[in-house]
Amino acid sequence: MGEAIRDDDESAPFRVVIVGGGTAGWMSAAGIRRRLESKDYSLTLIESDDIGTVGVGEATLPHIKIFNDMLGVDEAQFMRETRATFKLGIQFCDWDQPGDRYIHPFGAFGEPWGGVEFQHHWLRSQRQGHQRFALEDFSYSVVAARNNAFEFPNEDSKSIRSTYSYAYHFDAGLYAAYLRSWAMERGVRRIEGQVCDVSRHPTTGDLTELTLKSGEHVAGDLFIDCSGFRSLLLGKIMGVAWQDWTHWLPCDRALAVPCKRVGALTPYTRSTARPAGWIWRIPLQHRTGNGYIFSSRFISDGEARDTLLSGLDGAAQGEPRLLRFSPGRRERAWSGNCVAIGLASGFLEPLESTSIYLIQAAVTDLINLMPRPRSAGVDARLVNEFNRLNEMQYERIRDFLILHYTANRRVGEPLWDYARSMPLPDSLVHKLALFRSRAALPSHQYGLFARDSWLAVLVGQGIAATGYDRLADALPLSALEERLSEFRNRIQTNVDDMTSHGAFIANYAQAMEITESEEAVA
Amino acid sequence: MSVGPPLSRVVVMGRDVDLWLCVNAIARALGPAGVQVTAIELPTRLRSSDISATLPPLEAFHAKLGLKEPSLIRATAGSFSFGQNFVPGSGRTPNFFHAWGAYGAPIDGSAFFPCWLKATRYGLKLSYQDFCLTAVAASNGRMLLPDEATSAFGRTDYGYHVQTMAYAGYLKSIAANLGVKMYQAQKGLVERDETGSIAALIIDGSLRIEGQLFVDATGPDAILIGRSLNVPFDDWRPYFSVDRVLSARAPAFTRTPPFAEIRIAGDGWTALHPNQAATGVLHAYCGELSRDEAALASASAAASAKLADVSFHAVNPYVRSRVWEGNCVAVGGSACVLDPIHDVDLHALQLGLVHLLSLFPVTGQFAAERAEYNRIMRSYYERIRDFQCAFYAVAPFGGDFWQRARGQSVPQSLSHKIATFRARGHIAPMEDETFLPDSWQAIFVGLGVAPETWPSAIDGIPPNRFREEFHRTIEFIKGKVLEQPTHDGYLDSIGRSPAA
Repeated sequence: MGEAIRDDDESAPFRVVIVGGGTAGWMSAAGIRRRLESKDYSLTLIESDDIGTVGVGEATLPHIKIFNDMLGVDEAQFMRETRATFKLGIQFCDWDQPGDRYIHPFGAFGEPWGGVEFQHHWLRSQRQGHQRFALEDFSYSVVAARNNAFEFPNEDSKSIRSTYSYAYHFDAGLYAAYLRSWAMERGVRRIEGQVCDVSRHPTTGDLTELTLKSGEHVAGDLFIDCSGFRSLLLGKIMGVAWQDWTHWLPCDRALAVPCKRVGALTPYTRSTARPAGWIWRIPLQHRTGNGYIFSSRFISDGEARDTLLSGLDGAAQGEPRLLRFSPGRRERAWSGNCVAIGLASGFLEPLESTSIYLIQAAVTDLINLMPRPRSAGVDARLVNEFNRLNEMQYERIRDFLILHYTANRRVGEPLWDYARSMPLPDSLVHKLALFRSRAALPSHQYGLFARDSWLAVLVGQGIAATGYDRLADALPLSALEERLSEFRNRIQTNVDDMTSHGAFIANYAQAMEITESEEAVA
Repeated sequence: MSVGPPLSRVVVMGRDVDLWLCVNAIARALGPAGVQVTAIELPTRLRSSDISATLPPLEAFHAKLGLKEPSLIRATAGSFSFGQNFVPGSGRTPNFFHAWGAYGAPIDGSAFFPCWLKATRYGLKLSYQDFCLTAVAASNGRMLLPDEATSAFGRTDYGYHVQTMAYAGYLKSIAANLGVKMYQAQKGLVERDETGSIAALIIDGSLRIEGQLFVDATGPDAILIGRSLNVPFDDWRPYFSVDRVLSARAPAFTRTPPFAEIRIAGDGWTALHPNQAATGVLHAYCGELSRDEAALASASAAASAKLADVSFHAVNPYVRSRVWEGNCVAVGGSACVLDPIHDVDLHALQLGLVHLLSLFPVTGQFAAERAEYNRIMRSYYERIRDFQCAFYAVAPFGGDFWQRARGQSVPQSLSHKIATFRARGHIAPMEDETFLPDSWQAIFVGLGVAPETWPSAIDGIPPNRFREEFHRTIEFIKGKVLEQPTHDGYLDSIGRSPAA
């Protein structure tokens, strides 16, 4: 169980073998390479050109900048190479009911006054005030997003322009390729090939060696399963059970297709609810990524395809690609000497762009809890910790996703009728009751999502709070209304001065001329 | 403002600090929103020898209540405390300081602790607390007044040692100015309505006081939530060996140390809480292993002084299964009794009040608030319990008491935490922690728990960077400490207590 400390630096490094070269595989490789010494850890990644990766266009969360900064990535260069655009949030259309729309921004709503969170002041003005203020007018990122504007946040914490952060939309395939060159330049060994056999230790059951179709053998001390939905090592070989969440998140298929980019470059992802699921729209520099996530219980593939194609901004680039999945997670992401990262460990639909965040969190935890070089190997105590953190991440995101579905007024559509009436996790029931009663927002120190995210979606999905924190009443109503007006105007005045997102990209990180043939291939 | 009329009448029954801090908090925060507070005061249980040690967050809570630090210090013969100095006395374990400030500063973006850990494995002789500005200042009898440089370095927090009776009186006098209605009573009787909620309290058999929300601040007696509502409690005695304490007073130190000192002996431990006027002495032991006379001898030896006002008390740690039941909220000792080792009583009270304010009912419909309050308070209490259990579970001291302490139950959440610390020096992050990783590390390291490994990510930092940073930090601390006023000098400057 313990790892003895030995300092015989001469011996061979600890061998980490990664199976699968999508976003998960290359983020794992790059992260580990950056943080751990080559003399202590060797890294081999096996990927096959014959096996596709899932991502088409990918929307991310602001956390990814921490990861890129850790690698020392030059932002403009990375954006050029991945055809990236900026993202200030997600616009949800028709989710509560057709015609409704709201933005879940990466940023704050208002500011606390008198030690009381903003939503209480806002709700009080709704109840008692003379003016009706829209919540979204108090989010810098929402107002900027609505104006298709973008600039970097200001670092001066007193400035209204410091109250938001940003993420990116990029081509996930190009991001993986970018990280691949980054990692290979730094000594990560890449093997092109497919795993056809796995050897295990006869007594411990640990993985010892992979055999590739080429006949090559790849031995390792720790295996990272980034094989995607197939979960080649953790699921198939280690046999870790699957926890199915379909009863909470009914969508199980996606059709994805890029289309020609038309119109202004929006600095947000759009998610539009449809009768049997929802359609994503992710603006990249050279094209727009689209996809229909749907439940096969409620619509046929053909109908879904027609729905998707009929709603595109521009001409489709190719035939939609079908993906099948189940929402849920492996009961343990790390078992024995096998750790699954990315889709091999679990799947949550991309409604809140959490896939890459989950990869990043797992890579960060793995680096901290990684077996020491020249040690007795995997330490069960640290494996338990990895699994505990991973489970917490998944469950918190899960509740937030379910909220989008269950709080709807799309009466008469079977998927949405089901979502309104399905039994919810107790943790979510409790959060909803607390918001309804007094506009209290879930808050925790670890994992997603922050208070303002819950506020955006709770209010956006039409959940009404009947009360608010009475400490808010300490502020005279007229003073409150003055502050609200001032705050709202300060945002508007600042946003009016901003550059458009399209112009900002053109100036900062415009990708090379993209040829027609390249677009056709993509 | 909402469905139904606002909840506006709160009755708090209790005694001493539990009662008066609670009354201040509610009246101050919610008075402007129209909430009226009635206080029913039961006879005090305090002795003039009692000195309370507090944790750093009380300072900010006082500020919210509009209490001014200098007047508090003067009124309570108070002093500042930058942490706890543990004195094992004999054996292999050197003294160690559990400070209310940051230990070390990150090196090239990596946390300090693993860097220190690795360096010690390669022969570094400096202890963990040598890198804690707060600990070094306090050990030298100094204050630590924060400035830009110390803030950049890290937290430098403090608590107080206040004369408990004076503190309760101080809070009461302020409550009187907040328009709180006050009654004194020998006992209270609960009148319940048809739903089982409390309708009114009948005090001393005659006066009937109605309310919508009742707060039980009666301490471990739990007169409302326990005796009247019969809400059961979970017994936490299986986790702890201390079941009895001796409380007494020793003379004041010539120079008031700005910290508490915990002196270890084979039969338990003795805490010295110095303030301007006296030194509070608390000796904790196990009644089955030591008789009271032996405890007195042990406490006198530990304090090296003749003790006055000696009294003995049982300690029965527990947590109320539901700290909010019906329309009755338990705060302080009626909700939870913790082990005396880390001076957490007042902090546990503060946590209960802070969350009661943030979940204070809007109307008579407060089932969601109650559920959340029960959930979150339970979580906070359990994390404190784990921290205290950790101390006893890993303490390496000799003697019957410590042997018994090491054999007590360990909650699963804690065994996981100890395991990850032993494996890698990793403090498993959990929600609702009172004690920061710095505290966990200070206690574990001080008690001689040596992590087997450190995170590999720090292996990329060259050894000379460690040396440079260690040297820079030690020099910084030395310089900053010399700039500080002495604790006594600072107490002089804000005005001494007439009692001192």
